[in-house]
Amino acid sequence: MFVWDDGDLNAEQVAAISEPNNVFLMACPGSGKTRTLTYKIALELSRLDDPKKWVVAITYTHRAADEIRDRIEALGVDTMQLWIGTIHAFCLEWILKPYGLYHRRLMNGFKIINSYDSEEIISRICSNIRTERIRYGECNHYYESRGLVLTCARYRAPLVQRVLNCYHQQLEDNNQIDFEQILYFSYEIISENLAIAKIISNLFSYVLIDEYQDTKEIQYSIVSSIVKASRGRVKTFIVGDPNQAIYGSLGGYAIARNELERLTEVLFTPMALNKNYRSSRKIIDYYRSFNVSPSATVAEGEHADYDSIITYDQLTHKEDLVEIVSRHIEDSIQNYGVLEREICVIAPWWIHLAALTRNLVNRLPQYSFDGPGLVPFSRDNENFWFKLTQIVLTEPSPSMYVKRLRWAADVLNDMELALVDVNLISPKQLLKTVNSISISEEDGLIYLSSFFDEMFCVLGIDFNLYPMLKDHHESFFNSAQNRIDRLRSENAYFATDIGAFRRAFKPRTGIKVSTIHGVKGGEYDVVISFGLLQGLVPNFNDLSVDSAKKLLYVIGSRARKNLHLISERGRFFGRGQNREERQPTEILQQLNYAYDQDFP
Amino acid sequence: MHITKLSLVNYRNFRNARFLFNKGINTIIGENASGKTNLFRAMRLLLDSSMPRFATKLVEGDFCRALGDWRGHWVIISLEFDDIACDEASQSLFLHGAGNAEDEVVSRATYNLIFRPKAYVRQALAQLPAGDLSALETYLNTINIDDYETVLTGKSVVNFNDPEVYRNIVGDFELVVFPELINNSDIGIRLPNILNMPNEVSFTFIKALRDVVSDFRSNRTNPLLTLLKSKSGEISQADFQPIAELVGALNNEVEGLSDICDIRDDIATTVGDTVGDTYSPSSISIRSSLTDDSDQLFQALKLFVSESNDGHEGAIHEMSLGGANLLYLTLKLLEFKYQNSNQSIANFLLIEEPEAHIHTHIQKSLFDKINYKDTQIIYSTHSSHISEVSNIESMNIIGLVNGSGEVFQPSLGLNEDQIGFVQRYLDAIRSNLLFARSVVLVEGDAEEILIPILIKKVLGLSLDEIGVSLVNIRSTGFENVARLFDEQRIRKRCSIISDLDAAFFDTVVLETDNAALKKKKEKALSSQEVGLARKVRLDAFCLNNPWVSTFYADHTFEVDFIKSSNESYLKKVVGDVYVQPALKNTAIEELSSPDVAVSGSRALTMANYQGKGWFALTLGKVIDFKVAIPEYIFDAVKFAHGNFNEELIFKMLKHRYESVVDHVKYGREIVERLSEEGNSARKNEWENYLAPYEAGLAEFTPKWNDFNPIVGDIGDIKSHLINDFPVERNDVLLRV
Repeated sequence: MFVWDDGDLNAEQVAAISEPNNVFLMACPGSGKTRTLTYKIALELSRLDDPKKWVVAITYTHRAADEIRDRIEALGVDTMQLWIGTIHAFCLEWILKPYGLYHRRLMNGFKIINSYDSEEIISRICSNIRTERIRYGECNHYYESRGLVLTCARYRAPLVQRVLNCYHQQLEDNNQIDFEQILYFSYEIISENLAIAKIISNLFSYVLIDEYQDTKEIQYSIVSSIVKASRGRVKTFIVGDPNQAIYGSLGGYAIARNELERLTEVLFTPMALNKNYRSSRKIIDYYRSFNVSPSATVAEGEHADYDSIITYDQLTHKEDLVEIVSRHIEDSIQNYGVLEREICVIAPWWIHLAALTRNLVNRLPQYSFDGPGLVPFSRDNENFWFKLTQIVLTEPSPSMYVKRLRWAADVLNDMELALVDVNLISPKQLLKTVNSISISEEDGLIYLSSFFDEMFCVLGIDFNLYPMLKDHHESFFNSAQNRIDRLRSENAYFATDIGAFRRAFKPRTGIKVSTIHGVKGGEYDVVISFGLLQGLVPNFNDLSVDSAKKLLYVIGSRARKNLHLISERGRFFGRGQNREERQPTEILQQLNYAYDQDFP
Repeated sequence: MHITKLSLVNYRNFRNARFLFNKGINTIIGENASGKTNLFRAMRLLLDSSMPRFATKLVEGDFCRALGDWRGHWVIISLEFDDIACDEASQSLFLHGAGNAEDEVVSRATYNLIFRPKAYVRQALAQLPAGDLSALETYLNTINIDDYETVLTGKSVVNFNDPEVYRNIVGDFELVVFPELINNSDIGIRLPNILNMPNEVSFTFIKALRDVVSDFRSNRTNPLLTLLKSKSGEISQADFQPIAELVGALNNEVEGLSDICDIRDDIATTVGDTVGDTYSPSSISIRSSLTDDSDQLFQALKLFVSESNDGHEGAIHEMSLGGANLLYLTLKLLEFKYQNSNQSIANFLLIEEPEAHIHTHIQKSLFDKINYKDTQIIYSTHSSHISEVSNIESMNIIGLVNGSGEVFQPSLGLNEDQIGFVQRYLDAIRSNLLFARSVVLVEGDAEEILIPILIKKVLGLSLDEIGVSLVNIRSTGFENVARLFDEQRIRKRCSIISDLDAAFFDTVVLETDNAALKKKKEKALSSQEVGLARKVRLDAFCLNNPWVSTFYADHTFEVDFIKSSNESYLKKVVGDVYVQPALKNTAIEELSSPDVAVSGSRALTMANYQGKGWFALTLGKVIDFKVAIPEYIFDAVKFAHGNFNEELIFKMLKHRYESVVDHVKYGREIVERLSEEGNSARKNEWENYLAPYEAGLAEFTPKWNDFNPIVGDIGDIKSHLINDFPVERNDVLLRV
């Protein structure tokens, strides 16, 4: 049985993981949510007495899954019977792979296409429509248990529907499925074959869900079907923060406890983690102005009494953004003794950050940065070649061994899905093969491409013969090339050497630059955020007040000590006559708060 | 849970075989080399955790040779399970991977090993132009075994034994049409990595007991060690501690022996003397290292057994072969019992040929007694002693048909009564017919004794050699057994030989007839009627069954035998049957009569007088190669066996030729003797008799010596033999 030291968890946390019933846990920012989840998993793993049962944990990102697994292993608990990953990986592993033959679209095999490919296909379809103007990104779509949901205005729906029909037909013709379909088809399989949920539920002892506030209806439905089929035998531990639900435009929402109880047909014990160990009282009080769901956060951390500086700037023009942000950085480091890696620059849109980061690099050559526009290819965790790149570009070392071995197993799994015969290749051998190859080439993409060729030559496999690997290969290199081309066109210099590629996989150092969605779970002494403009925060496809509040709540709650907000001027949208300057986020403007002065 | 079906497609000697199994005990019977071991290997590949992992990667030799070129073909080994408890949590993992989950309640599961060309090969095949055989051949020539992969799947629904299904999944090699679907869900879906079937079930394989003593010697295969090992972990510290202490004390005592100490001191002194104190080791001791580790200590345990009553217990290698085998079997069964108590979802026990070296009586009781709960036992045998006690409902028969194994289920489609009848018939002797390649059923002792002799003498072949089992039903209830041979059941040919019992004398009752004659005529008439009715019945029974045919003696064996101009043999045994000279003379006279009513009656009288069985034995002694096989008998044998191949025909010709040579040699010796005795009349008779044979030999011998059985035309040499010996009765040769 797994035990922990007294100081490891506080009373709230102990209560949460000791609760024998299903737990519905609301955790405020900085309350040790991941820690609690980690200990809960470790506890349940140690309680397993049946070698044929699994503890299943569903996280929002691969990174979170990796991190939690590492932490549990560090606690000395065997993770053989732990399955942890994203909901998409869950559906793939537990439903689509073993039961795909019960779905018309999957019975003869399928290839998974990533978001880059989706975007390419949909953009192409859009551009082929001559009669009306429509473009990718104008409208999100996702599935609910009752079917497809479009986020655009009603009058646009018929046109969007037409595009999507065309898109889905094309996927079907090529035996492909996209991420949304992974969920929808899983739901269809599990709701049409009653035996399946029952069989799967017999394999689980516990299901844990992290970040439930960003979970979609269809995901709740899938997991609930399994919990329901077990008639209460599979216990559930669900944790999140309704105030941080920022994926509303993609269908994510914080489910109410009674709705979850109705879906799962079991009762949940509501519990809460209300002690914020992260931020100062002043910061907490500030971001709680953006509460949408009541919470009782208490400052408990070492910075509780810190005299925070919170500023709000509505005057700076976007041309001067680099200068202002640089000054905030310099000020923090020089006058407040903050470390580089404890500073984070946040904005809603990736594209604004990419441009800014490179300018910051030029403006502040003495500091290092970690952000978009510095990594030459997209972090597409579902792409086979990205996963392989991750192994290729991390240095073999004893501390990385277990992790790389896991990645190797993952890569082999994907190869099997692509119909490659991997019976005789073990993860160890794969790693050995990777480690044995050396390529002398400076250009990153050429390096990777030759590396892959060489590696598959050693393995005796021609990956061009396997459609899924071939498709992913094209997609990986095309998207990387596109990205490089695009970045180059915006900036004269851009590093594309293999060293730059390698750095992308090094543990983060330097000043973090991130989107709001990408900063999930992170915490920094100083947070500098810009782009707080109507249409961005809140996003144009969900202009509700709540949506803006949640984004601001997430931004604010990242900061331990100081928070600098900027609604810059000079950003325009629309064309011709309709061209307008974006205005500061309304809810922010309306907030009556005594901000501190910029650079006193 | 138990296995209901095993399908083998293109695996080793099975081109397409379907085995059906029941709960409990199942028998696989078949002649040697029919593929029993291959069948077991197939099951072990899927279920035996002691098989090495790489074993599932098949090799070229695993393809069925009957396929010809294996390239492009698939090997499929498919298991189907029944009796699945879907609520049982322990089976969930199995159901997850293999259960057919279309219905609300999972009642069926399949688990398949598929060895097939890799995806790119399948793709390339699909792209070949339809009908282009040469393109196919060219492509197939480029692939080798490394282009193959093994996939384990579950949840399949198709019947792999159906050639149509195979064509759908694999392709049509004649029309050169291959499926475009690279991933056909018909084969089921890959087992998830978390499911490793051998770990889920308890599976013990007891191989044929061939070299048991060496198995006992090797640490790896010694079943006693396996048992001890499984227990050594369970020994309590309290129980073992005193032993460990004893071992410690023992070690100390050994080390303390004065002789040992002397040696140690001498070593130390000698070292010191040789290299000087500076370089010699600072201390030397001799330690006894008797182990106190329970695992290792147990390895030193050996089994001693007393076989006789004198109380001497000997080591295994001193035991009789039978005793050692029995012991081995027992230990393996115990091993299975231990394993059985583990948490497994099903228990399988496979026993290969338990009969080897085990006494018949033990064999008989063995399977009456091995019957573990929730365990499916499958054993293979070629012993009729074991098959006798097994149930034909749980039986699979492997037969070799043109070198490839075929499987028959003898009870398929029969009702309970019919099965009951068959089982009663299959005592130890008759159960031979389950192993036979073909069968001739006869109704009495005369046929049983004489048919093998006739065939042997005339053709020079034993029935065993041509794979025909002769089974004496001892009645005319042929159908009860013949029912086994059917398109649905045992697809081997079965001839029935029966008598029509047609009267062979005038049965018109005359006023002048005495009472005995009247009675004889009446009896003959009623026999004739019964015989006719039987013919109607048997003909109807054989109708539309290509595997069974009936052949009728017009009257009865002895009468038909003499009718085939074999009276000379009967005359030769008259002396063995009768003692009185008068009776002997009458008998010889009657037997010489051209009227079958007379000669036949006498033949029958002689047989009845001596008893048909004894008479047949007597007759058998005098039969030689010149005897004529009654037509219906030869037809029956020929139907059962099928056409004789060249090799057999060559053997027959050789036999006929050599018989003539011997016969002439024998004749010459008689001629010589007669000439010495001066009996010139008999001598001339013999010379005249031998002349055509000698002329024939003069013609034929050079041809025979020149004949090359490998390249020569067997038909040619046969017609020479027939033509060169016109006095011989060659009708049998004409008909082979």
